[in-house]
Amino acid sequence: MRKLLSAMTGLAGAALASGQALAQEIRNPAEEWEHLWDEVMMDITIIGVIMTIAAIVMLIKYRATSPDQVGTAKKLTTVQSISFALIPAAVFMADDFYLAANGWTVWNAYRRVPENAMEVKVTAYQWYFEFEYPDGTVADGLLGDDDLPKPILVPQGQPVVFRMYSEDVLHSFGLPYYRVKEDIMPGRITYVWINTEEAQTDAVLQCAEFCGENHSKMSNPIHVVPQDEFEAWLAKTAAEG
Amino acid sequence: MNTHTTTAGHAAVPAWKEWLLTTDHKRIGIMYLVGSMAAFGVAGLMALIIRAEQMELGMQIVTSGTQYNSFLYFHGAAMILAFLIPGLTGFAANYFLPLMIGARDVAFPRINAFSVWLFFFAIILALLSFVIPDAPDIMWTGYPPYSVNTSGNTAFYVFTVHLLGFSSILGAVNFLVTVIYLRAPGMGWNQLNIFVWTTVAAFVLQLVFIPVLAAAVTLLLFDKYLGTHFYDPSAGGDVLLYQNLFWFYSHPAVYVIFLPAVGILFEIIATMSKNRVFNYKAAVYPGIWGIVAISGIVWIHHLYISGMPDWIRLGHMVTTLLISVPVGILVLSLWGTLYKGAITYNTAMMYAASCLYLLLIGGLTGIPLALPSMTLHLSETSYVHAHFHFIMALFSAFALFGGIYYWFPKMTGRYADGALATFSFWMNFIGVNVTFWPLFIIGKEGMPRRYWDYEMFKDVLVMGHPFEDFHKVATVGAGIIAIGMIMQTYNFIHSAFKGKPAPTNPWNSRSLEWTHTVSPPGPGNFGDTDVVVDENWTPYEYNK
Amino acid sequence: MTSDAETAHVHEHHWEWSWAPLFVVAGTFFLLPISFGFYFAYDSLMYTAIFAGLGTVLLLAGVSIWVNEGLTQTPLLAGVANIGLPIFILSEIFIFLSLFSSYWMLRLGGQSWPPEGTPDGGLEKGIPLIMTVILVSSSVTCHIAEEKLDHGDLSGFNKWWIYTIILGAIFLGFTVYEWQHLIHLDFIPSTNAYSTAFYTITGFHASHVLLGLGAFIAVLIPALGGRTNKTFVNCVSVYWHFVDVVWFFVASQIYFW
Ligand code: HEA
Ligand code: HEA
Ligand code: CUA
Ligand SMILES: [Cu+2]
Repeated sequence: MRKLLSAMTGLAGAALASGQALAQEIRNPAEEWEHLWDEVMMDITIIGVIMTIAAIVMLIKYRATSPDQVGTAKKLTTVQSISFALIPAAVFMADDFYLAANGWTVWNAYRRVPENAMEVKVTAYQWYFEFEYPDGTVADGLLGDDDLPKPILVPQGQPVVFRMYSEDVLHSFGLPYYRVKEDIMPGRITYVWINTEEAQTDAVLQCAEFCGENHSKMSNPIHVVPQDEFEAWLAKTAAEG
Repeated sequence: MNTHTTTAGHAAVPAWKEWLLTTDHKRIGIMYLVGSMAAFGVAGLMALIIRAEQMELGMQIVTSGTQYNSFLYFHGAAMILAFLIPGLTGFAANYFLPLMIGARDVAFPRINAFSVWLFFFAIILALLSFVIPDAPDIMWTGYPPYSVNTSGNTAFYVFTVHLLGFSSILGAVNFLVTVIYLRAPGMGWNQLNIFVWTTVAAFVLQLVFIPVLAAAVTLLLFDKYLGTHFYDPSAGGDVLLYQNLFWFYSHPAVYVIFLPAVGILFEIIATMSKNRVFNYKAAVYPGIWGIVAISGIVWIHHLYISGMPDWIRLGHMVTTLLISVPVGILVLSLWGTLYKGAITYNTAMMYAASCLYLLLIGGLTGIPLALPSMTLHLSETSYVHAHFHFIMALFSAFALFGGIYYWFPKMTGRYADGALATFSFWMNFIGVNVTFWPLFIIGKEGMPRRYWDYEMFKDVLVMGHPFEDFHKVATVGAGIIAIGMIMQTYNFIHSAFKGKPAPTNPWNSRSLEWTHTVSPPGPGNFGDTDVVVDENWTPYEYNK
Repeated sequence: MTSDAETAHVHEHHWEWSWAPLFVVAGTFFLLPISFGFYFAYDSLMYTAIFAGLGTVLLLAGVSIWVNEGLTQTPLLAGVANIGLPIFILSEIFIFLSLFSSYWMLRLGGQSWPPEGTPDGGLEKGIPLIMTVILVSSSVTCHIAEEKLDHGDLSGFNKWWIYTIILGAIFLGFTVYEWQHLIHLDFIPSTNAYSTAFYTITGFHASHVLLGLGAFIAVLIPALGGRTNKTFVNCVSVYWHFVDVVWFFVASQIYFW
């Protein structure tokens, strides 16, 4: 409950102060996601195991011993039947609020973009992505020489926010590596940000909203590389473009 | 109660007319069953193609991405709209609801026949998509702008939805009036079978929410063919409008499936454990009606990644989680019905027991999805597929199959149980686990849905294996299900004509459909005397 | 609901059947999805005409069988249609609500209103006023017809029923006239957000008027031959009042807002 309250006041505070005070601490949504996943899994596993054991025990224990045996459960009294509704309801609800509060906290990590983030504009087309960097350089993920989409690079250390827009149909910006995705559509601008503290060359951007024939081919590696490497790549891309 | 109606000549009506042109609720029920099983067969075949295609990297079975998309479209749309909804609210409700409440037929028998024909023509229209050029390729969700821009025949999708929707709306009107006005004299609201309550709730949902879906797809049709701009942002429309309208119906629709399925389980479990339903009133009022009440305000959980404002996503997170409260109460009654029972096992009960497990897996894996922060990653992955196959494709379908076994003696006068039934049950049960658990695992690592190829993930390892290995296991599982299902279908057909004869009330149930009718019931259901129940009667009174 | 005398009565039961539902569904199927598909998706005028024709014949046959059976057979429970229809109307209300909310969304979505392409000064406001008067009077004539029937005055019923049909037809005529007029002004469904909503909502309402007229005629034909059924008449008139009430919302939202 306290977590829920602090999350709520946090949200309100953020709306008021537009994130000034909160900007110092840069969170890592992907890590928090993994942590939340463990928590939720624990939660539902406990519920599931209790219920399964109860079912199995009863299914075995209460087998009929003769064909005309009947069940002997008593009719509940009014007090009993109300308690058997209210008490479980309260327990379930408590669990729901617990999950909601945790989910909400992580949500804030995803949706509050750090102030120093570099903005990359993404435009999605059937069936590729196009990236525009702050200096105006445009890179696209079309196939390279080896018939694979060319990696898109972003600098290490500075958070990156992608502002996304589509010219044709729905697409989605899915980055399983960073445990995040958000749709891209005509008529609205959406965003996703990633924490780039660590360099990596494993992340694959994939289109995750059905967009037609080559939906499953619409993807692009996204690498986080040291600043100088990034700048060299940017300059090269600008020169080619 | 005056039940008599006269048609022209009832002297020598050919049997095919009495079947095909029937307005009798039982025969209409059977027609629904046949139609929905056919849809299941064809859509299941599509599932096998899908699985075979995903088994390995690259293209194997289909000839183009578009063909894969059309197959997947058919699979999703037909399974939900033409198999489960008609199977549960068409077949099961039609056949058994009037019997359970002691009615001789539904309130509007001809409208009932009208509904079943709408259903059949909808299936025909859907099947046409295999022969027409430019088959629909827009998935069962049909999101614009793609569905407007595509060269695929979106019109057939829209009209299929129209026909089925109209069929369900009329069914809803029919059954609501039936339950309100045609209950046997003396039957109070707290004496209804749980199955009756769940179908009533499902029909209320249909009545209120289908029109919204109908509007959503109609606007799609207009946008595509008449040039309107509802979903076109460049002229002031909004692509998210469709998604909101669509899910405003399609979330409640999952309870249209879920509720009658749970209702069938209650019937099987109460009868087979010869026990009263545990905490009946809690199951009905806060349980069933609680679900109905909340079901209309959670749809944004399908739009967690679609760019809706943050505050609305968080609001719907809370309501979505709260659904577990009425579902939990309902589930406790289900579990409690076993308590101190006297359980006998047969195929129906085996299906019911396995459903308890499928319900837990499917329902509980919905909980992470209810959290927007989790869903930012899980959405549009095969994790979602695994979630809804467990709760919908497996739980609800197994409940339906259990119901078929349970009521088989009533419908045919014969048992469907036997070695073949037991064997096919185990094939199905093992098959579904082998198929859908791997999808959970790779879904959590990012395997996207609606992908016929996943080459870019070839370097991603989960537990030391690439996605491909998991897909292979899933494909093997689908093969196991296919064998089980085909044997089971054969068993149904065979037993209907050659099965072991059964007495009228083989399970010693207390419910009216067993105690007051012959098997199968004739025209007018109850012979010459109308059913009247006294105030102490309930369908679950075993232990007086 | 059940009198003892009736329950004691021994009935003979037999399987009921009817051609009507199949005909109506098949007719609708050919008339709508199939014709639409051939016209818009496959551009074949010939097939469109063939299937639309086939559909119409089947539909008319189905409806007439249905009406005939409805007049000669007694239902399980007399008058139960009077309860069914309002429940069905609930569902209709939700369709209109969805359409209106789509319209509100377009309109409040931030554009300047009326958007570019709308005829100067907006839509003509006189026509909807006249149409409102016509539709309201048709509700009144419909009600009078019902009263006449209640008093057993069949020819009076027929007369007022025909007045209602005429008023309904005039109403539709106005819609057609107005649409034609606007199309001349280049205000077509694809013009802008306003035209999108305008044609959809007025068209949808007009289709309900058309359906209502069909139902009126289905009542009228046997009535001219002296056969009526009060429940049937009652349902048609309730439906008509509903269509009338919806029109107030159409007019206020589309024309006068
Ligand atoms: C019969 C069908 C059915 C049912 C009943 C459900 C039930 C639930 N579903 Fe599911 N769902 C689908 C069919 C169904 N779903 C389908 C078809 C899709 C995908 C559609 C598409 O995109 O194509 C989907 C997708 C879907 C999403 C969207 C994912 C995405 O696309 O991003 C979400 C998100 O919240 C979700 C959540 C839930 C929840 C919380 C429930 C709850 O109702 C579950 C409640 C049950 C339990 C919780 C278990 C029993 C309860 C207890 C033991 C009590 C104690 C428990 C707690 C306190 C937690 N579902
Ligand atoms: C009730 C619903 C239901 C049911 C029962 C099923 C059943 C199955 N589903 Fe389906 N599925 C959906 C609803 C359902 N599905 C939906 C809604 C989607 C999403 C679509 C979308 O993304 O838009 C989906 C998507 C979906 C995918 C995702 C594809 C992708 O993302 O690219 C996969 C992949 O494995 C799959 C597999 C299966 C399998 C193996 C079965 C098996 O259980 C099937 C077993 C059945 C058979 C093998 C047939 C048995 C044979 C007979 C009974 C024989 C006789 C009769 C005749 C021949 C007439 N389904
Ligand atoms: Cu782009 Cu899918
Ligand atoms: Cu949902």
